[in-house]
Parts: sequence; C-alpha cells; structure tokens
Amino acid sequence: MYDFLTGPVLWATFLISFGGLIVRAVLYVRGLDWRLDRVAYRPNLKYGIRGGLRSIVAFLIPFKARLWQTRPGFTLIFFAFHIGLLVTPIFLEAHNVMLKQAFGFSLPAMPTGLADGLAWVCLVGGLFLALRRIAFPEVRIITNFYDYLLLVISVLPFATGLIARYELGAYDFWLCAHILSGEIWLICLPFTKLSHVILFFLSRMQLGMDYGIKRGGMKGTDMAW
Amino acid sequence: MFKKILLATSGAPSTFGAARVAFDMGKRYGAEVLVLNVMGVPTKAYSQVVNDVRTGEEVEVDEEYRAWVEEELKNTFEKQIESVEYSRIILTTGLPHREILRAARENDADLIVMGASSGDSSVYRKGYPGSTLQRVAKAARCPVMTVHRETASYWGGFGNIVFATDFSKQAESAFKFALATARELDTDLTILHALDISGKVLDQNEIEDRIIAARERIRTAYDLDGFKNCDVEVWEGVPYVEIVKMARERSADLIVMAHHSHELDPEKARIGSTMEQVILRAGCPVVSVSKPDKV
Amino acid sequence: MPEGILCNKTPIKTEEQLKLTLADKGGKQYYEELNNLDVDSDKLWASIQATMKSRTKTWLEICAHCGLCAESCFLYQVNGRVPEQVPSYKIQSTLGVMVKKKGKVDNAFMQMCMETAWAKCTCCNRCGMYCPHGIDMGVMFSYLRGLLYSQGFVPWELKIGAGMHRVYRAQMDVTTEDWVETCEWMAEENEEEWPGLEIPIDKEDADIMYTCNAREPKHYPEDVAEAAILFHVAGENWTVPSEGWEQTSLSMFAGDWECCKDNVLNVYSAIERLRPKRAIGTECGHAHRATVIEGPYWAGREDGQPPVPYIHYVEWLAEALRTGKLKIDPAKRIKEPVTLQDSCNYVRNQGLKNVTREILSYIVEPGYFVEMSPSKEHNYCCGGGGGFNGIGMYRAQRNMALRKKMEQILATGCKLVIAPCHNCWDAIRDLEEEYKIGIRWSFLKPLVIGMLDVPEHLRPKDEGEDE
Repeated sequence: MYDFLTGPVLWATFLISFGGLIVRAVLYVRGLDWRLDRVAYRPNLKYGIRGGLRSIVAFLIPFKARLWQTRPGFTLIFFAFHIGLLVTPIFLEAHNVMLKQAFGFSLPAMPTGLADGLAWVCLVGGLFLALRRIAFPEVRIITNFYDYLLLVISVLPFATGLIARYELGAYDFWLCAHILSGEIWLICLPFTKLSHVILFFLSRMQLGMDYGIKRGGMKGTDMAW
Repeated sequence: MFKKILLATSGAPSTFGAARVAFDMGKRYGAEVLVLNVMGVPTKAYSQVVNDVRTGEEVEVDEEYRAWVEEELKNTFEKQIESVEYSRIILTTGLPHREILRAARENDADLIVMGASSGDSSVYRKGYPGSTLQRVAKAARCPVMTVHRETASYWGGFGNIVFATDFSKQAESAFKFALATARELDTDLTILHALDISGKVLDQNEIEDRIIAARERIRTAYDLDGFKNCDVEVWEGVPYVEIVKMARERSADLIVMAHHSHELDPEKARIGSTMEQVILRAGCPVVSVSKPDKV
Repeated sequence: MPEGILCNKTPIKTEEQLKLTLADKGGKQYYEELNNLDVDSDKLWASIQATMKSRTKTWLEICAHCGLCAESCFLYQVNGRVPEQVPSYKIQSTLGVMVKKKGKVDNAFMQMCMETAWAKCTCCNRCGMYCPHGIDMGVMFSYLRGLLYSQGFVPWELKIGAGMHRVYRAQMDVTTEDWVETCEWMAEENEEEWPGLEIPIDKEDADIMYTCNAREPKHYPEDVAEAAILFHVAGENWTVPSEGWEQTSLSMFAGDWECCKDNVLNVYSAIERLRPKRAIGTECGHAHRATVIEGPYWAGREDGQPPVPYIHYVEWLAEALRTGKLKIDPAKRIKEPVTLQDSCNYVRNQGLKNVTREILSYIVEPGYFVEMSPSKEHNYCCGGGGGFNGIGMYRAQRNMALRKKMEQILATGCKLVIAPCHNCWDAIRDLEEEYKIGIRWSFLKPLVIGMLDVPEHLRPKDEGEDE
C-alpha cells in the first residue's frame, strides 16, 4: 500500500496538482480582457507590473497592508497557519528523505521539534479559523459546508502526520492515511478554492495592475494598501 | 417704461405687498404682469423630488401638482389678475434667485418686483451664500423693486420719489431710472446724499464743508435735463437712517438706490448693505438698480 | 413575456417615452409593473457567459469567506453590523447565485438583487482594498447593475437618468441651445465685475476644453461662471464645446453601458473637433470617472487614455496655484478648522489624493486643515455615491448611509467641509438637512474666487472710488 501510494499515485497526484494549477494560471491570464476588465494591461505593462508587485508584497508581509493592521490577532493566526501549511511539508526531514531517494537531492531539513511545532500551529490555527466561522456572525453568514470541508482537507495531513509521528495507534495505517490525505489535498488544489495557492498571486496581481495603471499608478500616486 | 413686470412670488402672504404694487402698476401703466412662482428647489441630486419653497416638504412636481399650484396662485391673486389686461403665470423649479433671473432675462422684463422676507434660512438657502434678494439685485439687468411689508405697498400711484446716491457708477444708472420715472409719471424727485459720518469724529465745519461739496457734486454729476420738480438734499448721519427719514419726511412712495455690493456672504453683506437696511425699514417700495441696461 | 409600458427591458430612447416615464409620479406604476416583469433567463445567461471572464469568475470562486471585508464597508458599519451587509455576502447572494443558477432566477430574486446593488452598495470600491485576495466587490456590483439593467430591473430614477442621457445627451433636459445660452448669460452677468470675461464656445485649438455637469447650466450656472472667472484670472486660453460639454453619466450608475459609450464618444468627438491641448472637467467625481477613467475603455481606446490629457478640476487648480497663475491673498485664507471630503471616484479610483491637499496648503491658513479619519484612498464614501443620492425608493437607506460621513465630520470638529465633488456635496448637504449638525460645505471654486489676489488689470474700473 505504502509503495503504491508513494509510487504511481504520488506521481499522478503531482501531475494532476501542479499541471492543474498551471492550467488554472494560464486560463486565468488568457481570460483577462482589457476591455471588460477596463484595464489596459498591455500598453501600460510597466506600470501594471509595478502596481501588481506592490499589491502582492503588501499582502504577503504580515502587518504591511492596512487590513493586516486592523486585526492583529487574526493576522497572527492567519499567517502562522499559512506558514505552517507551506513550510512544514517542504522542509520536513521525512519528506526530504523521499526526495533524496527519488531524485538524489534534498532540501535542508528542519529540526523535528520545529516541524512538530509548526504542525501543531496548523492544527490549532485551523481550529481557530473554524471557530471564528461559528463565532462571528459576519463570517457565519458566508460560511458553508464546503468551507469546513476544505479546512478539514487542509489540516488532515497534519493530524494524521502527527498521529503517525507520535505512533498513536497503528503506525502503518496512519502513515498511509497521512499520505493519502496529503494527496487528496494536492489533488484538491486546482479544483477547489484551494487554487488560491496560485490564484491569490494572479488575482492580487490583477487588482494591483488595475491600480497601477488606471487607478492612480499612471498619475504617479501609489496605492496605500 | 414698464411694459413687462415680473412679479416673483411664493404665493405666501409675505409677498402680497409686492403683488399689490406689481398689479397696481400693471393696471396703471398697461404693463403685462408675469407672475413667477418657483414651486420647488431641487435638492436630491438627479431625483425628481424638490423641496416645496413654502413648506420645505418634499414633493414631486408633475402635471397634477403644477395644475394645483397654478390654481392656488389664481385664487390668491384672483381679483388682481382680473384687474390687469395682461398677465401670465410662469411656474418652474430651481433655485429661486436663479429662476427669477432666468425668467427676467427670457422675458426681457423691465422691472422685477419681489417681496423681502426678513431673511430666514429657508430650505433653498442651504449651501448657497446670499439671500435671494441679494443675488437677484446683484445680477439683474433691470431694476428690482422690493416690497418688504404690505403696509409698505400703500399705493395710489407715484407722487414723490427719493433717489439716494452714493456717487457710485451704479448710482448713475439708478439716477437715470429715478429721473425717467419721475418725468414719465410726473412726480416730485428728491436727490439725497447721506454723508456717512457713522463711526467718525468730524468737527462741524468739516461736516458742513463736505455737505457743500456733496451738493455741488450732485448738481454737476446729475443732469436733470430740464426737469423741474426736483430738489437736492445732503444729510449727514448713518446712511440708511437718513434715507428712511427723508422718505418719511417727503411722504415718498418710492425709494431708488444703487446696488453694488459684490459680497454675497450673508453675514458680511447684511451688516454692510445700506440697501437691505432701507428695505427692512422703509414704508414704501424700494427699487435697486445695478446695471444700466434697463433704465 | 410580460413587459410593462414603463418598466421593461428596453432603454428609454425617445423623448416621448421619457416624458411618459417622468409623468409616473414617484414611479408608482413603474414599480407595479416591475412586480410582473419576466426574467429572460436565456438572455441573462448568454450575457453572463459573454461578459464574465476570468477576473470576475475567479473573484466569485476564490472568495475564502473570511469576512474580512465586513468592517471595510461603511454600510455594514452604519447598519448595526448585520451580517446581511457583509460585502462578500451581498455579492455572493446576488451575482454568485445568479451565476450558479445559470441565469434561471425569478422576479423576486431579481428585485432582491436590485435592492442590494443600488441600496446596499455604492460601488465605492473600498472593500477591494481590504480583501486579501484582491476581490473588488464594487466592480462586481457595477457589473451586476449592468445585468440587472439589461433585464429592466433598475430603480425608476436611474431608468430615467439613463434615458435623459440617451435623449438629451445630458443627465437633465439641457439642450445645446440651453447650454450655449447659459454660457452667454453667465459671461454677461459677470462681465462688469470681471472685465473682459468671456466663455468662448467652440474655439478651436485652445489650450483647454472645459466640460461640466448638466446640473450646472440647469440649476446653478454660477458654477460655470466661477470656472470661467478662474480661467480668466489665470489667463488660460480655454473653450467649452457647444456639443459634448456634459461629462456626467447617470448611465454608469444605471449600468447602461451602451449609453455610457455614447456619452463618452460624444465628449471625445468634441475633443477631436476642437483639438484642445487638454481637457478639464468640473468638480465632479463620477463625471471624471465616467469620462476619463472608465470612458476610454467604453470608447474602445486600447491605451486606456482619453484622446488628449483629460484632468480633473482639482489637478488644474493645484497646477494654477503652484505655477502662480492664480494667486491667493494670504489674508483671505480660511482661518477656521476645515476638513476635506475625498471623493472615491477620483481619489480611490485615480489616486488624486495629494493634489487636493496641495490646494488646501494654499487656501487654508497653516494648522487649520483637519484630516478625516480615515482619509485619502481609505476614506469612506460620502453616503450618496453610485446613484444612491437620487433614488427615492431608497431614501431611508441613503439617509442611514450618511451617518458614517456624519461621524467622521463630527470627529474632526470642523464646521466647514470642502467637497470637490457634486455627489459628495449633495450628500453632505442632505446630511445637514437630515441630521442638522451645523456644518457648511463648499466646492473649491467659490472659495478660491473669494480669496484671489486679482491682478490690477483684471479688476473692474471706477469701482467704489467714493463712499
């Protein structure tokens, strides 16, 4: 089972996931329409790129955008959650061992303690994100089952990973469950809202270009995100 | 000289005095009386809603409302409308001063007659400096007659006109109007200059010198062109007080003055404006002239 | 498919139809007919498929339902923070559902969309600044308005407004003759006070072509005169076109894109006819947005720019003060606490946040200018944007919306508000009428005229030589 999941299934997963994301990105860019979006992307590309990058950077750095300053608590949880979600799988020692076996190279691995910590951050962060969906009326009204499902899909690899790591219960079972849930998460990326892993950048870029070209950039004023 | 008289009225009692004068003039001189009523002031952006000038309530002007306003005006001025040969009701919406000016220009009116409410901040005043009167008096091409109170409109034709001059450029036009009116209607004319000594300390000799100079100036500046029933007075004091006093002494039934204040800020203009003080205090209609076109 | 006589899917194209619709007091019959108006689902879906491309699709799809946009919306804030006012909810429950159902929606749904699009959003675009994913719900609401308009679901006043533009090419019944006549009138009315003042009509190859808002010739032509006076004092070589002078676009508020295009082409053709070096619009926010910011796209101009540089009045004023074309008498500067209303349409949507402040640095005594909080591109809508001011049916909602601006103004402690935008100006006037907080408000033109240091040769002669 382990070999199957880490073999053909994993390959297929990567193909679908990354291929899918590339397709999404291409479709997004191709679907931009200067006339309907009312942004002259091409003739003013330099202004656009400048505006787009400013827009991305402002939201990528904690507490840079005005939004992140208005809700410091949320910002903290939110960034911790996302950092944990991205950093842990990439720099986890166990994952890099597999990488080494397959391709003969690996990324620097982080200490186990840190990895554990980050995984816990993800779990707790995810829990908070779920709780705020219940607690705050302004979030509750827009929350649906799908939002919880995605949250579960996103944290499941961490839950199963931790169980396997602490060897609670049958190790093999939880390891397979961990791999499977990770693959599910990867496959979900291009097909669900999780596509924001790539579309966040594109959407932010687009609005940034809008501001960089039409809404002030060409007038020499930068948007104070 | 009065062929078309534009009576601006809200239909409220405060304008009845103005209406009496306007219609009386219409009857006596065969003039056409145009009764202008600005029904409502648009305030809600591009919407069709206006604020009724009298009640301040929000109304929508449609044919029905228009007909109702016209009916009301006809009832209010029924007898007077019957008394004149030509009259016409003009209904419109907009800012009162602007619409009065517009109608005067469109109809080439010879005289605008309006009431002067004591300047409360009615609905349409908000956001615009200056009262309707100030704005009309400033920009109108023709003389503007203001009748402040109904008692000020006592009317049996003209017998005595007081023309108050401050020697301004506009006063020349006002003089022409006063003289032409006096000549045409065969009335007495008093030319008055009120020597402004308010807030100044002058010795009696200097005042007298100035009075003599002013008399001389009136004689040289204003060519009576053979008109006889005229005398010249120079009184010292606070101008508006002297003008009102003179009007009372001569039992004047018309005061003619120049209007040349550019200041529209109500706070500043009201204190400074002799004309407005005269209007508020005089017992007869006051005509203000600021432009030479229609005199 | 039942369509009303007044309420239908056809825009008002004739004067006759316009008058007929206007005669329906308060839109009574119009709104009754609205209750029976059918939705053409096929057309709606076709329209969505043709015009909803990746940007909007993605926006709808990747919304993380995080609710961070809630607090950015002033309508959410003033309406008791009810969750129904969360921007994300507002757009998902309208456009989102419409797309999900592939246009198969009913009359009741469309009416709900109509109320949401015109009474729960002013298209101020503020939420777009606070969404991590860069989802601009104001843009989507504007798009939704277009869909609703094409199906006939539009407030009565805006159906008329767009009709006015179609019939008169102006938002009010001001014809070319009326306009030209008004310009002559205003020049005449002020020539004594400003010797040599003229309003040149259709002068070719001038440095500036000036355009304005139809309400100016219609109700307060003083504004046209004031513009003329300032150009005159600044010694500008300027003109107004006899045709193509109306810069506003109620059709933009209505979502009548075809009409928007016609409006803007009308202005651009005046530019092409008169060949000015540049064009300047009046102190109006949405007019600038319609003609300068969005207009080039409606007109199909690939570079996104108008045919000649087309600037907002505040840009010209700042420039005239900076270069000394206009001089302010320091003694006449504003010496009382004064605040500034940033118009969404040219501040958030074109970044003109610094020029207005530069103007204030000339006309306000140092230390008396108080910023609203928040300000500049983070400022809140006046409460009457996007057509909200003029819709009778939503007056109660609009009055509620004014409360945010009221709070902001009260917090500055100022009694004077400078509002270089017709819509903001109107909203603040209504705010005072509704809540009576004792404030005054003004455009820039009259303030600046009042404090000009007029060169000797431009002053009237023999003025007040004697008392």
